[in-house]
Amino acid sequence: MCFEGVSLVIRIDHVTFSYGEENGNTSGVQDINLNIDDGQFIVLCGESGCGKTTITRLINGLIPHYYEGKMSGEVWVNGGKVTERPLYDTAKNVGSVFQNPRSQFFNVDTTSEITFGCENLGQSEQSIRERLERTVQDFRLEKLMGRNIFHLSGGEKQRIACAGVSIMEPDVFVMDEPSSNLDASSILDLRAILAFWKSQGKTIIVSEHRLYYLRGLADRFIYMTAGQIEKDYSAKEFERLTEQQRADMGLRAFILEDLQPPEISPLIGEQMELRNLCFAYKNEPETLHIHEDKIPANRIVGIIGNNGAGKSTFSRCFCGLEKRCGEVIWNGKIYRPKDRLNICYMVMQEVNHQLFTETVLDEILISMEEESREQAEKILAELDLTDFKDRHPMSLSGGQKQRVAIASAIASKRSILFFDEPTSGLDYRHMKEVANVLRQVRDTGITVYVITHDLELILDCCTDIVHFEDGSIIDQFHMNEVGLKKIRNFFLKGVSEA
Amino acid sequence: MNGVSFSATTENRKGILLDPRTKLVLLITITTLMFSTSNEGTMNIIKPCLSLVPFVLILSERRFKTAGKYLLLYAVCFLLERIALTTLSGLFSFIVLAVSSIMTRFAPGIMTGAWMISSTSVSEFIGAMERMHMTEKIVIPMSVIFRFFPTISEEYQAIRDAMKMRGIRFGGKNPLLMAEYRLVPLMVSVVKIGDELSAAALTRGLGAPVKRTNVCQIGFHFQDVIAFLICILCFVLFLFQQQIVF
Repeated sequence: MCFEGVSLVIRIDHVTFSYGEENGNTSGVQDINLNIDDGQFIVLCGESGCGKTTITRLINGLIPHYYEGKMSGEVWVNGGKVTERPLYDTAKNVGSVFQNPRSQFFNVDTTSEITFGCENLGQSEQSIRERLERTVQDFRLEKLMGRNIFHLSGGEKQRIACAGVSIMEPDVFVMDEPSSNLDASSILDLRAILAFWKSQGKTIIVSEHRLYYLRGLADRFIYMTAGQIEKDYSAKEFERLTEQQRADMGLRAFILEDLQPPEISPLIGEQMELRNLCFAYKNEPETLHIHEDKIPANRIVGIIGNNGAGKSTFSRCFCGLEKRCGEVIWNGKIYRPKDRLNICYMVMQEVNHQLFTETVLDEILISMEEESREQAEKILAELDLTDFKDRHPMSLSGGQKQRVAIASAIASKRSILFFDEPTSGLDYRHMKEVANVLRQVRDTGITVYVITHDLELILDCCTDIVHFEDGSIIDQFHMNEVGLKKIRNFFLKGVSEA
Repeated sequence: MNGVSFSATTENRKGILLDPRTKLVLLITITTLMFSTSNEGTMNIIKPCLSLVPFVLILSERRFKTAGKYLLLYAVCFLLERIALTTLSGLFSFIVLAVSSIMTRFAPGIMTGAWMISSTSVSEFIGAMERMHMTEKIVIPMSVIFRFFPTISEEYQAIRDAMKMRGIRFGGKNPLLMAEYRLVPLMVSVVKIGDELSAAALTRGLGAPVKRTNVCQIGFHFQDVIAFLICILCFVLFLFQQQIVF
């Protein structure tokens, strides 16, 4: 097949798609026209639900072959009609990496996972072995080979996923929010992989909220709103926008160096004392060793550190989920793990796990010591949930679910709230919403600890930072001039020089 | 909790390496012979010997604790069974006999099965099934099911933690409601993961109408021959003993 331009790889021609009834939340796209040249690096950006994920699915063929709905128009990749070709044919040309590292591997063992795609296509054993060797070298995976994927970190899983796609040597790579669940240093690893593919002349399409790590790699930014392409920026044009302009478009920060915190809040001296918070998982070496330390209380405290630094273990121990793990002294009172279960609450990253009942109102009532409808309604109103009080929690959007979880924590009168990555995969507007809710929660006198990899969230609402490394607190500081420098350093090492 | 179900990886293996097909034959032999006979004649010797097989296999992986627990459990039940048969009488004897003989019959099979699953990787399993000319229509869904056990266990633990945090206030409610609270979120997230998993597998060519390659190496070795001989010997003795009895 021939196109007018020899180098055109992808052509989306007047495509309109709407999902079936069951996917009420995900909107489709209308009348999309998009041409992508060979070797271009495209970023699809825009608010949640703007249709960028739908575009990635059009290119890798999951629409219309897996996700059903009403479709018109045509999609060509490498001269073949994706809409008519079966998925396994498209798989030879288009490699896909998805958002959730937990749900995109088919094997339990890393080595078999990487070779999985080639095996499916029936390539010879000899050639698969050669490709495997090359891929392992290119991606520096020697240490990860032959391991159980369930024991890897999110960043490591995502590297395996990229390797498993790369080994099939497709011409086009499609990624749907690949950085959502990654920490700062894993995002830099991801950037290195993208740079490697770009250097090989591959065509790359990334749909993303986080934009900063794509700076200097991307050639074009396609900005979408409500299922349509609103504007097609070249990298230069996009760079010229101010952070404020991007924020108005609902986009996340592009140039982290330019971010400014809104105001420096007054410092309050209150602190919490930690004693003997040491912990080792069964049959594993100790991963958390805090013998004696103090952390700020009654504020919004950001907890940072790379994966494996002990942040989650710390929050689990602090909340009392692990028995026999140290003491917390606050306001002259000693809290043992069992006591802490009653005063702490963790809003998990996967909020689905912590909503149990059939309606939002029930969820609040069941958390109260003595059920009081009036009180429950008041809490719901504070968190902007009144309109949803009779809905099933599972039918809500991610942000609404998060607020229901927070509401239930407030209802059960917890005085310390932990948040585990509350803004992963959120666009600018939703991130701001979360920041507002955190402030609101703090204003009711609750101490908030946020484990996060999101610099924008930190600048927006955290007043203090606790930095973890190797299971200990290696640094803590207020968000003043010096603190700002430190936190920028933590997130940016590598980006500027890369 | 962790490490069940095809969790084996292709490198850093410990213990006796057997072909997945050999493992299957071992499993069939042990379960069949443990169930189908009484404690008479030669079977009185064969059965305890067979029940040592999973012990040896687990021991060779240096999982001393598991192996020890199994051996202890089996030995106690074995002794109780003998005592109940010979010295006790009445209802008490019946109960002891029932419990202990169920244990001696089930435990070896369960242990061998658990060992088989934990020492085989998904791709070895697929490879072995293909050599046995099983159709992909059975093999692929089965491998997905096994891939799912660790996922379900991860999700379940997360939900258990979430419930623990919601606290004692759930305690007084009825058990059916408790089960619902656990199962609904579990099902929601498992279905979601399954959906995303299928999409990911399809974009990597699963279902292409070609013969799938398999890079992992399986095949019969010396230890497989030994295992087969043991199985055959046991079956022969078993049949031979039957002829004597009748």
